[in-house]
Amino acid sequence: MSMDILLPIFCAFLSCFCFSVIYNIHGGGILICAFGGALAWWVYLLTAPFFQDDIAQTFVAALVISAYAEVMARIRKCPVTGYLLVAIFPLVPGGGIYYTMEHAINGETDAFLASFLHTLGLAGAIAVGVLLVSSAVRMWTTFRRQNPVSRKETRP
Amino acid sequence: MDHNELLAVASELGYGLLESGAEIYRVEEAIQRLLHAYGIAQADPFVIPNCIIVSFATPGGEVLTQVRRIPSHGTDVDLLERYYDLGRRLCRETPPLEEAHTALREIRRTRKSYSLPVLLAAYFTSTAAFALFFGGSLRDAFCGGLCGLSVGMALYAMTILHANLFFKSMLGSALAAFLALALTALGLGEHPQIITIGAFMALVPGIIFTNAIRDVMAGDMVAGLSKIAEALLTGVAVALGAGCALTLARLFWGV
Repeated sequence: MSMDILLPIFCAFLSCFCFSVIYNIHGGGILICAFGGALAWWVYLLTAPFFQDDIAQTFVAALVISAYAEVMARIRKCPVTGYLLVAIFPLVPGGGIYYTMEHAINGETDAFLASFLHTLGLAGAIAVGVLLVSSAVRMWTTFRRQNPVSRKETRP
Repeated sequence: MDHNELLAVASELGYGLLESGAEIYRVEEAIQRLLHAYGIAQADPFVIPNCIIVSFATPGGEVLTQVRRIPSHGTDVDLLERYYDLGRRLCRETPPLEEAHTALREIRRTRKSYSLPVLLAAYFTSTAAFALFFGGSLRDAFCGGLCGLSVGMALYAMTILHANLFFKSMLGSALAAFLALALTALGLGEHPQIITIGAFMALVPGIIFTNAIRDVMAGDMVAGLSKIAEALLTGVAVALGAGCALTLARLFWGV
């Protein structure tokens, strides 16, 4: 892997590490979140050649990261929220909000609308990614509760 | 068994979970499971982002209800995990209610949080890393860190003063944008846009948004929609704050 892939991934790792401190995560959870953030951006970069569209890339990254959070939550028997919230950070369209605002105060109506819709698209991609995984997991746990295969605990 | 005491324990558990940022369905499930574990056949907890209503009928036929109002709150993952663990333990072991009450109080008393210097260091590093992440230079990263640091301090001070979320986001982002411009004017930073975007990441409502989506998916429309509105308004507040700072700077400095 070249430097221009490694550096953003490392930055995503570092910033998620720090954000998990800000959201008061202690112990091993910090590393899980930080790896989640790095994974999110790695997937985002990895899918770039296939889609060449950042909304689609964000969507796939959100899917992967939600699945990762669900798995980690089950391994550690903790609520999913904690891991998901921080790991999703690199995908949040902070730049989109900024450029939308800048176009608005410059009076560039067309550019403003375009970047506003694009920002909404990115947020929507995160939403749909998170939503698909959490509904799938919900259906799976309901299925397991109705058809208990083993004695294993199937609570979410 | 004293059912009033049970009601108090159940709503206190819900209160703790909701206050530390749990999803609505998780709070409702935790309360319901707890009441089931203590032998209540039908329990109806109803939770929205700032209110919990717990109601159930005792085996004697008496209906008990409690309403708890939750103040505006942030996300505290450590507290959330501990309340969640306690909820599971209470359902499994069903200890005497006094013991459950003590355990709940114990969580609140032994609340772990990072000290202010550690938090500020985290703000500095995370925003610096985001400035690099968005393609800034090392100097931009340093300026981004400084902006993040001031955002962190401003957020901390305003949380103590109980400022509301929108005002906090607006002032924080205005401060970040203003500092980014000033640092660039001083020759320290190179790309004020990237520096500001890095500091923005500490303010954008990513967490509220993700939580809102999970609530909508769980079917809690009232909670989900009010959180989506909150996320959108916070996003607008962040943009407005930086917009004001940029406009003022252009008026007075002509940057």
